[in-house]
Amino acid sequence: MKLWLILGVVALVLLGLFLSVPFFYRPAGVGEEGVMVRRAALGAKIRGLDPHDIGDTTSAAVGGQIFETLYTYAYLERPYRLLPQLAEDFPEISEDGLTYTIPIRRGVYFADDPAFPGGEGRELTADDFILAWKRMADLNNRSTNYSSIFAGYVEGLDEFRAYTAEVDRVDYDLPVAGLRAPDPHTLEIRLVRPHNFLLYWLAHLPTAPVAREALEKYGEDLVNHPVGTGPFRLVGNYRSNRFSMVRNENFRRELYPDRAAEELAERGLLEDAGREIPFIDRIEWTVIEEAQPLWLAFLAGKIDSSGIPKDNFDQVITTDRELSPAMKARGIRLIKAEDPSIFYYGFNMEDPVVGENRPLRQAMSLAFDRETYIETFLNGRGMVPTGPIPPMIPGFREEKGNPYTRYDLDRARGLLEEAEEIAGGPIPVLRLAMPGTDTTARQMGEYFRIQMSRLGLEIEVDYMTWPKFQDAAKTRSHQIFSLGWLADYPDAQNFLLLFYGPHRSPGPNSSNYSNPEFDALYEEAIALADPEERIPLYHRMEDILIEDCPWIFTTYRVIYALYHDRLQNYYPHDFLYGTMKFQRVRSDLPDSL
Amino acid sequence: MTAPEKSRNYWLSAGREVLRRPRAAVSLAVILFYLAVALWGFTGWKTPDWETENFEMAYRPPSRAHPFGTDIYGRDVLAKTVYGTRVAVSVALTASVLALVIGLVLGLLAGYFGGWIDDLITWLFSTLQSIPYILLILAFAFVLQDRTFTLFGAEFRIRGINAVSLALGLTGWVGLCRLIRGEAIKHREREYVLAARALGSSPGRLIVRQILPNVVHLAVITFSLGFVSYIHAEVILSFLGLGVKHVPSWGVMIDDAKLELFRGVWWQLAAATAAIFFISLTLHIFGDAVRDGLDPRLRGERR
Repeated sequence: MKLWLILGVVALVLLGLFLSVPFFYRPAGVGEEGVMVRRAALGAKIRGLDPHDIGDTTSAAVGGQIFETLYTYAYLERPYRLLPQLAEDFPEISEDGLTYTIPIRRGVYFADDPAFPGGEGRELTADDFILAWKRMADLNNRSTNYSSIFAGYVEGLDEFRAYTAEVDRVDYDLPVAGLRAPDPHTLEIRLVRPHNFLLYWLAHLPTAPVAREALEKYGEDLVNHPVGTGPFRLVGNYRSNRFSMVRNENFRRELYPDRAAEELAERGLLEDAGREIPFIDRIEWTVIEEAQPLWLAFLAGKIDSSGIPKDNFDQVITTDRELSPAMKARGIRLIKAEDPSIFYYGFNMEDPVVGENRPLRQAMSLAFDRETYIETFLNGRGMVPTGPIPPMIPGFREEKGNPYTRYDLDRARGLLEEAEEIAGGPIPVLRLAMPGTDTTARQMGEYFRIQMSRLGLEIEVDYMTWPKFQDAAKTRSHQIFSLGWLADYPDAQNFLLLFYGPHRSPGPNSSNYSNPEFDALYEEAIALADPEERIPLYHRMEDILIEDCPWIFTTYRVIYALYHDRLQNYYPHDFLYGTMKFQRVRSDLPDSL
Repeated sequence: MTAPEKSRNYWLSAGREVLRRPRAAVSLAVILFYLAVALWGFTGWKTPDWETENFEMAYRPPSRAHPFGTDIYGRDVLAKTVYGTRVAVSVALTASVLALVIGLVLGLLAGYFGGWIDDLITWLFSTLQSIPYILLILAFAFVLQDRTFTLFGAEFRIRGINAVSLALGLTGWVGLCRLIRGEAIKHREREYVLAARALGSSPGRLIVRQILPNVVHLAVITFSLGFVSYIHAEVILSFLGLGVKHVPSWGVMIDDAKLELFRGVWWQLAAATAAIFFISLTLHIFGDAVRDGLDPRLRGERR
């Protein structure tokens, strides 16, 4: 009897607790008066948030809210225009083009972090940039970005890099002649030869400053403790599938831009002109690798913006490529934009099978049916590419055509015979690495396998997570890999640098392509100050790549971005990642359900 | 006329017992049909072609030419289902046999010898049993995925179907091992075993000739009931991307369907689930009947 009584009481208590959950539990950001929450989703895990090594869009999407760079782009102006950000002004460049003197903005503070004395972020100085760039040069850090940004340009930095390979403990206090801070708010960069892209790079996330205090406290673990000057700071651990950011209390006074391209102004993007930013109090990030859950979360209003998965495209977009009335009625809006990007299957040119066999690469390129690919996986949101230089980038040749991006199985078979002669027998099984383990990645891998089997080649596909995939690329362990490149700045050099020999992995040349003729043209082109003069050289380089096929160019893509209309001031930017500080989430509009 | 009474063969009578139940008989027919389809897949003789893609025919609903419709690459879903049967049945069969052998051998050894051998084996299966089953096979599948190892100078590569079968077989023996161990402990003290030992039988002979025949019905029951769980596990692993690659599997078909349903493409899901449903149902019914038939205590009871 007594036992029953006790059990009954316990059961009642449990039931009470269970029923009271809805009263205490509140999903993040719901029902908190006056707190503006932006809910964002990522389609892949983040590889890491150490600025020098950020080289992928996922890490940049998150890191862009935390870190800032000396220069940035005007958010709403087209064509794109550079603006000073952490710099007070544009650099003073000496007549020979070799010395850049950059005034650092005063009153910029790092976000509060236990690394600082008293936990309070201190003011940014020129030394923070010098430290950050020495870390990028440090060979032990295996940065993706050093070879394309600084290698061969900054006086003494390459020597510093060589020194880091020789010592056990790198001393970051060792002076580098080309990087000096005459006073805390002046940064002086001395070059050994003119660097025509330096300003673009100084607007690129990997050149963001690093606080010495943070490095001293966290050491190698700095990658997990991003400390920046940006509008938001991380709370908790970004390696989990849900994490958030709050406003950086130390963020300086910054105003919403008052200039915009006409088309953007017409969309109402200037309504907040002159108001202090950021508007958002908190960003809730969710990592959702599978397309469907992400899409359903978007439809349910749990995230503010999203792309359109291939299987939902017809449900959302009408035959004349507009948003369906049903979606409009739900308060969903669409932005269509061309995107300077190229997607491809890359060959590791150091691989003895594919690297030394040009007819094989050409045959595979010819055997890949791009039109069906674009229809099947992109619902027509793409174009058959010419070469590495995409639309919107000066130097793009629409009419040029590429003899190897046509689908021509007969010619491919002919080339394969040549390839087999070179290989001295049948081509062995080839391995393709796909950057994803989700259903769509599997279907795309399968598509490649099917296309190559039509040619008579056998392909083994490996599916790996995004971080694992990138690490394998850094160590040159792929044979064939699927990847894309989105422009960092509006110059074709940003695409051609992916083939420059000295940029081989861990640099951005993931194909490890190396061709003396190409390298000579590249060096000649980048030394030209006038962008117009570079273009004929770019075309010659592109011609070499078209013939050599280190990549199977698959698509130039077009962006279809969707967002709920409660999200305001939202517009895709091709080079800028830290755009959430401009955005606003209206709480008077209900979640579109 | 006198005639000696023939002893009724235990297995034969059990078989009759099972087949006397109409539901079990129908189930057996269905199972045999699946096995035949799997075998057909193996022979490759006039099997429907699942490999030929035709992108113009992508996502066609069921029709006369394609009774189960087509998939994203315009491949025939019926043919994929047939091939999926081959994958599921061969994985389940290999895994069952592997688990059976390990479970039987270890169980008999532990039960008969006791002592430190028993301690060791009990420790091993208790450890394995304490890990949740799905996590355990996921871990095994992860580790075994795409491995190359050398054995007796020859190089073996485990991947796809082999990796899945191995992962399932290496994790699936625990239940049987426990059962057999218990039975063996019971039997080793029985008079007939003691008598055989007194006559000088070696331990090996005792185990194989005396104890094994008296516990083997447990193995048969475990086999028939375990088979279906291996089929499920194969589907789960393939669904999660840890299973077979490049060949159709019911799990991969369901994974595809997850996206396709939004396009209104339901036939791939329907085909795979129907295939899983019927084999699961019939294996359960048949497995129950086998257990009833083989367990002397349940003999004659109609349930």
